[in-house]
Amino acid sequence: MAAEKMCFLDKNRHIMIAVDESENAKRALLYVAEFLGGVPGFCVSILRIIPEPPVDYFKTDEERSEWIKRNKTEASTMLDNYRRILVQSGFGENNVEPLTEISSCPSIADCILNERQRLNCDTLVIGRRGISKKEEFLFGSTSSKIVHSARNCAVWVIE
Amino acid sequence: MREMALGGHDLRDIIARWVAPSSVPATPRIVTDISDFFKVDYDDVVILDGRPYFMRNYEREGRFGIDDEPKFWVRRAIDLTDGSTKIMKMVFHEQFQAKVGDITFDCVRSPRKEAIILDMVKGHPNFMQGFSVNDPAGNIIRIIDFIEGKTLADHVLELGESHEDYFYTFFPSVLSEYTDLVKAIRFLHEHGEKHGDIRRDHVIKEKNTGLCRWIDFDFNYMNAGNMFGYDLFGLGNILVYLTGRGDITLQGLKKEPSPVLDQLTADDMNIIFNNRLVNLKKVYPYIPDALNVVLLHFSMGANTFYDDTEQLLMDLNEVREIIAL
Repeated sequence: MAAEKMCFLDKNRHIMIAVDESENAKRALLYVAEFLGGVPGFCVSILRIIPEPPVDYFKTDEERSEWIKRNKTEASTMLDNYRRILVQSGFGENNVEPLTEISSCPSIADCILNERQRLNCDTLVIGRRGISKKEEFLFGSTSSKIVHSARNCAVWVIE
Repeated sequence: MREMALGGHDLRDIIARWVAPSSVPATPRIVTDISDFFKVDYDDVVILDGRPYFMRNYEREGRFGIDDEPKFWVRRAIDLTDGSTKIMKMVFHEQFQAKVGDITFDCVRSPRKEAIILDMVKGHPNFMQGFSVNDPAGNIIRIIDFIEGKTLADHVLELGESHEDYFYTFFPSVLSEYTDLVKAIRFLHEHGEKHGDIRRDHVIKEKNTGLCRWIDFDFNYMNAGNMFGYDLFGLGNILVYLTGRGDITLQGLKKEPSPVLDQLTADDMNIIFNNRLVNLKKVYPYIPDALNVVLLHFSMGANTFYDDTEQLLMDLNEVREIIAL
């Protein structure tokens, strides 16, 4: 909600960078920092989707809660770090918003696209893992799905 | 050992109602806490939620080519209240790395997942039926109706004089059954669940009703990019198997030897199991293009994959219209 307000009020272009712990995601963020850092008129939401673990994956609810807590903490640390990188590259302190969402969607791509739509971002930036065809077949490729399914926004896929 | 009486009746008398006199144990042991399934013996009586079960042998499962792998936590039992045969699945929290081709991923065996799905699919004709009950130690025990019948995989191997005979005479109804099975998986997905271990030996064709039922849905894994991808992979493998009336492998074709061998390319093979032929039209030219195109979604040469069961069902409906002509 904070990100929504931040960009709406300033009438900035709103960019969403979807990240995880991978190097590819970091590359996507660094690309935006290098490309747009210091350029006025942009705000950035850094989004980390934590896929909600199935309720029946863990032996107990406590284990599940612990897993979520641990992942939220790790995501928060990572996003703070990424926020600092963007601010250091020239984005305004108030124009970078870290977002962690625990979401349950058929795919991570769906979760990212839902968030993009909710926040009405103009541009979606993602890294590409470069997974094998087999892996894409078995578990799906987030970047491929986003490229195929995104509507009403630009998509930057960073190699 | 607990006292050998139940509801005022001698336990041996109750057992004798359902088994031959020679099978009635002299001193049946009553068990309620089944945390350690190795301690539940043949001829024990397990009481769960007040209901007595006379324990019989453990079940076995063919897997990865090794037949008769014992599943010590899965036991056959007789429900002593009505004499019906049940499958009792005790708690076995297994955590392991599943290996599919050369890809590995973390997997768990989740009694909780199976219990949730059993509730979800109550009355559904294409799933095994049963319920879950907790023992005093909190273990989630699943009591499943025994399904008498063969696996769908074994069933189709017996159909038709030749593949062509099978394809024209039996395959339309096999495809119809398969479509129902895909719809059943769609039902799970729509309710936020996945089967988790879709394999051809996890479909039993019930002898009395002819219904095909999914069994064994306790495998679970963390959802990755697409939570349904692995289920779709399993569905594809089964469709290829049913279409070919068995696996058509490179080894098999070489053994014949088949004249199509020279025409095969890597793109014709299964995307994960590279020795299995998916482009079956090269071997059986009477397979309609519409069906072969569906199969090719599971091949090395595929450029697009099915994202969900709905996409697969749409294509299957087209195939069924053509095959029915």
